[in-house]
Amino acid sequence: MKRRTFLTSAFVGTASLALGFSLYSPEFIAANRSQDSQHRLLFSALLPVFLDGALPDVETLRRAAQNRTLDAIAQTIAILPEEGRAELEQLLDMLEQRLGLLILTGSMTPLMMRTPQELASLLEYWRNSFLDLMVTAYQGLRELVIASYYSCPEHWSRLNYEKPTFLGQQV
Amino acid sequence: MVIADPIEEGLASGWKHIDASQLNQSQTLEADVVIVGSGAGGGVAAEILTDAGLTVIIVEGGPLKSSQSFNMEERRAYPNLYHQAAAMKTKDKAIGIFQGRAVGGSTTVNWTTSIRTPKNALDYWAKTKSVKGLSRDELDPWFEKMEQRLNITKWPFAPNRNNEALKNGCEKLNWDFTVIKRNVKGCWNTGYCGMGCPVNAKQSMLVTTIPAALEKGATLVSRAKVVKLEHHKEKIFAAKAIALDENLKPTSVELTFKAKHYIIAAGAIHTPTLLMRSGVTDPNQLLGKRTFLHPTLLSGAIFSDPINAHSGAPQSIYSDEFVWRDGADGQLGYKLEVPPVHPILIGSKTLGYGKSHAELMANFNQLQVTIALVRDGYHEQSLGGQVHLTDKGFTLDYPLTEAFWNAARRAFYSMAELQFAAGAKQVLPISEGMPYLNNWAEAKTKIATMELAPLKTVVASAHVMGGCPMGQDHQLSMVDSHGQSHYYENMSVMDGSIFPTSLGANPQLSIYGMTARNATRLAERLSAAKG
Repeated sequence: MKRRTFLTSAFVGTASLALGFSLYSPEFIAANRSQDSQHRLLFSALLPVFLDGALPDVETLRRAAQNRTLDAIAQTIAILPEEGRAELEQLLDMLEQRLGLLILTGSMTPLMMRTPQELASLLEYWRNSFLDLMVTAYQGLRELVIASYYSCPEHWSRLNYEKPTFLGQQV
Repeated sequence: MVIADPIEEGLASGWKHIDASQLNQSQTLEADVVIVGSGAGGGVAAEILTDAGLTVIIVEGGPLKSSQSFNMEERRAYPNLYHQAAAMKTKDKAIGIFQGRAVGGSTTVNWTTSIRTPKNALDYWAKTKSVKGLSRDELDPWFEKMEQRLNITKWPFAPNRNNEALKNGCEKLNWDFTVIKRNVKGCWNTGYCGMGCPVNAKQSMLVTTIPAALEKGATLVSRAKVVKLEHHKEKIFAAKAIALDENLKPTSVELTFKAKHYIIAAGAIHTPTLLMRSGVTDPNQLLGKRTFLHPTLLSGAIFSDPINAHSGAPQSIYSDEFVWRDGADGQLGYKLEVPPVHPILIGSKTLGYGKSHAELMANFNQLQVTIALVRDGYHEQSLGGQVHLTDKGFTLDYPLTEAFWNAARRAFYSMAELQFAAGAKQVLPISEGMPYLNNWAEAKTKIATMELAPLKTVVASAHVMGGCPMGQDHQLSMVDSHGQSHYYENMSVMDGSIFPTSLGANPQLSIYGMTARNATRLAERLSAAKG
């Protein structure tokens, strides 16, 4: 039996518990709590850490940017080829389960319950790990979040980047 | 402003195009020649064979997209026009690979750099890889032909500042540099080539050879992935494909293509993958091995003045100062170029997150990026990668060897030296643990001891080559020096997979020129047989 199969069969239904959103979940994250197939709650915990300094300072703009990024992440995942998507889903599933969390982070504390500093430490732990598995987990999440954030034209103002306007309304 | 879209117009005029995603039932199509793939090889072959009066079907796994949909946004371009939404990686995830997947193949999204195959590469192939008849003298007429066909000319305008920095650095250091020839006609100099040319100036296969072939009656089948060649003894008798849906996921609709001759032009990685999956004769177990990438290192530099590296022709200057310095099979050489800097591309190909990354991105318009493309496949320790079949597709296992890391360190030196010479305030080698370097003296010290390793050092590739090598010696090659299969009389390979090593130059013009030569000869043979 593959590890993933074991993990999912043993811990099916505990994802919500592991994420801790029954205890804490920001109101503005648009997620269906019973069926969070897009892992929005998980990413909503990670976004502020990955995007610290990039997200807008004004709270309403910040929330809008986070939700846009969550949408973009869901779209990105949807277009990944089957094998890459399966790998990513496996990682995300593990991060939503207590045993998976323990294996990947050394602690069963749900990600939503951790402070931004703790999450940043976790990312650094993965980033500098001697295990390629951890490093690729970090890089996979990093690339997904950063690419999704910067895919949105609404997030380009800090870069002073915009595409030429000569095509007007054509596209 | 409304830009005329030659694809829309052509389709309206009655071109034969089948979008396989719209098919409900399986079908069989026949022609004199079936071409698998519509990139640099497939596109050129299609025009030449159609011109010769042969009936041609071009089968492409990607979608038919045209300028109307090229909106200069990475979020649309990458999933529409690139393999694996531009997130393809080697097996260990240490190298990110950009390869086009749409009608026109990588030519639809490349940066237009057009370079004739370096003489050093051709000489090496003749000497050690049993390649015959491909000297520069013999190839030059074919390059001239394709340069005329695709309007390949030296870029006549000032380089953008990203390229200008490369030029300035070379001038200050007295290093070799060249103004790049580009396949463009009426270029608007905007810098979005990698997202599909929105004004049809890029003379990609999408707007040149493929429309010409369709105009003369060829059939284009898009979103159809050829998965198997049926063969018996020394003949291929069918190419089997599955229709893909609009999201390029497989459907249950099957297509069968039958032809007198089959040209495989699916590009390196995919050509060997198809041949391996088909179980073709390969007595020396060569397929998929020696796949080369020009693995590429990146060095960022912060300038005081705006660089605006997203704007203007993405590549107009290169430097060959270090490519062949130690001889073909000596230490690995590297070519210096610059990439266009767009948000997703640079956001994902840099390091870190949070405040440090946001700070780098805030310097977006001051950021100059230089890249070093390492010439792989010549040195005894540079054997390239190997394609393996998996249940759902393939993996490319490409070990980065000591010889590569040796070149990488030298490349980081060269790039930092160049960037400081060009006036950079700070230089940032894109490898974990490296700080912003403030001057060349500091750079020399830090680069000497920097940690270089897979997953620590960012390595990317936009040039996939090899895996189905050409040559006269069957021990070394799958096809002869004209791309004709050694084992199947009615199959040729016409794409970058036939290169026995990497090129040390951007590959599109090499594929155009060699395919023009090989397809012309094939057309003569098939026309004669047709009577």
